[in-house]
Amino acid sequence: MNLIRFATRNIAGNAFRSWMVFFCATLMAAFVVSATLIIGGANDSLRLALDRLGADIIVIPDGHEQRLEAALLMGIPVHCWMPDTVVDEVAKVEGVEAVSPQLYLSTLRGATCCSVPEMFLIAYEPETDFTLRPWLEQNLEGGLALGEAVGGSLVYVPEADGELLVYGYGLDLKGSLDPTGTGLDQSMFFTFETAFDIARLSPDQAVKVMDIPPRTISSVMVKVDLRTDPHQVAQAIDAAIPGVTPLETNRLFKGQREQIVSLLNSVVVLLVITWVLAMALIAVVFSLAVNERRRHIGVMRALGASRTTVLQSLLLEAGVLALAGGGAGIFVSFLAIYLFRPLIIRLMEVPFLFPAPLHLAGLALGALALAMLGVTAAALIPALRISLQDPAISMRE
Amino acid sequence: MITLHDVTKIYTVSKEVTVPAVRNASLHIDKGEFVIITGRSGSGKTTLLNLVAGLTRPTLGEVRFDGIEVWKLPDQEQSLLRNQRIGFVFQFPSLLPSLTSLENVMLPKMFGPDNDQQEVQPRAKSLLEQVGLSDKLHAYPRQLSGGQQQRVVVARALMNEPELLLADEPTSDLDEQTEHEIMALFQDIHARTGVTALLVTHAVELGRYGTRSIQMAGGEIVTG
Repeated sequence: MNLIRFATRNIAGNAFRSWMVFFCATLMAAFVVSATLIIGGANDSLRLALDRLGADIIVIPDGHEQRLEAALLMGIPVHCWMPDTVVDEVAKVEGVEAVSPQLYLSTLRGATCCSVPEMFLIAYEPETDFTLRPWLEQNLEGGLALGEAVGGSLVYVPEADGELLVYGYGLDLKGSLDPTGTGLDQSMFFTFETAFDIARLSPDQAVKVMDIPPRTISSVMVKVDLRTDPHQVAQAIDAAIPGVTPLETNRLFKGQREQIVSLLNSVVVLLVITWVLAMALIAVVFSLAVNERRRHIGVMRALGASRTTVLQSLLLEAGVLALAGGGAGIFVSFLAIYLFRPLIIRLMEVPFLFPAPLHLAGLALGALALAMLGVTAAALIPALRISLQDPAISMRE
Repeated sequence: MITLHDVTKIYTVSKEVTVPAVRNASLHIDKGEFVIITGRSGSGKTTLLNLVAGLTRPTLGEVRFDGIEVWKLPDQEQSLLRNQRIGFVFQFPSLLPSLTSLENVMLPKMFGPDNDQQEVQPRAKSLLEQVGLSDKLHAYPRQLSGGQQQRVVVARALMNEPELLLADEPTSDLDEQTEHEIMALFQDIHARTGVTALLVTHAVELGRYGTRSIQMAGGEIVTG
């Protein structure tokens, strides 16, 4: 017999108290994990999406700001065109270090010539590109050739087709980008050359022609000189070039960021309320349980248990229950969030990226430590009170 | 071995109400004695026993165990003294309900410095055999009769080979036959081990089992 075995036997012998404390610990840990996972996942997702773009400013035709955000966040294709002369005009603006044009395209809905319906397609200019280049340099030496593409983490080649069909054009998927939790995960990237080849062959291969108006582009990705404020450059572009809107990437997804901040505020309030109530409940339940066992605690003292031993024994019971309840809460949260990711994204209207295993392990340990701390703190006062009581008083009816 | 010098214990019920449970009690018990304290309900017997055991602090006076003033010891040492040198048998069902008979008997070792399971378990089994419960090692208190429970408590009290055995109304809830068996068990233990025993009971006729009998009334020692 040792204190741990003794604690577990007492836990088993006091079902009501044990289940209540277990439930509270589950709730406390689950709330911390869920809140951190959802808010952290949404935040990470936005951050990674912005990193993926690699640009400080995106210049697009006027009036397409919201649709571009929807394309980047949810993968809903956007079609917008502006003259390709905008590239040179932007490059001339003071503070601009690099520019690269892109074409925004999409597959057809309900057409056999496209493997995936309404997929957001991004064509880039390999000579000037800096969005995909870091990934290509690491993963695909030599870049993408004609007829090759890379997809977001959710893009794959359908087994039945053996290739990815875009307007009847078979694309060779050379790799998948890391997940971001946004619409970029369902998008595909290829070169201008491939885009024009698809468009050229589409009258013969597709049910509908892929239309890329001549001498047009959809956007200009802009990298700003390190010493210059992107906001000033954006203002300069806005003033110098009519008919376009410069979107500063660090100001993109404003609505979603505000949504996350508002979610965070609500969650913090709810978290505090839940924790205070759970700790109060644990304190009451523990007080009742300790009172019920008052005589037996007096007996323990008479048999030679010091005040410290009694305190240790009671706190150990609380700790074991917190560990079990906290563990259950963490497991249930992970499972529920993993299974209901699409529902969470739809209900909260924010993107979401499930964290990496190491991050999850850290979060689990943190939540477990917090649950143990909370439960033990709630049990401390009743445990301290009974351990300090005169054993003879404890044993009295 | 035990000396109580002019000990008074007053319980404070509220700011205005205090209850004197023991008044100016002086007592000396020598090693090897089997002392039985008798008295009516509320006479202060249990409080006197708790004072001897160091389970309650005297309001006035001093309690000495082998010359050591018990209430001058820090809690750790006081607990160690109870654990190593005193065995307790209580009036109420004092077995821990979540533990088996064997585990209850082993319990005092858990609170002491020498908790070697290889030695503790055989000794606990042997003690349960000595009190006639070798077939109830893994029974929970609720599965035992009142007499059997009290035998387990006696075995537990002897676990650490105490020098002083304290028993508070050990036969109060038992029938006459079982009462006799338990008292005979105490007599036997006292005779075999030479342990100093102090037993409290309201039944005056049980005084014959001891080597000395003391009577209490109204919180005072009136004879003995």
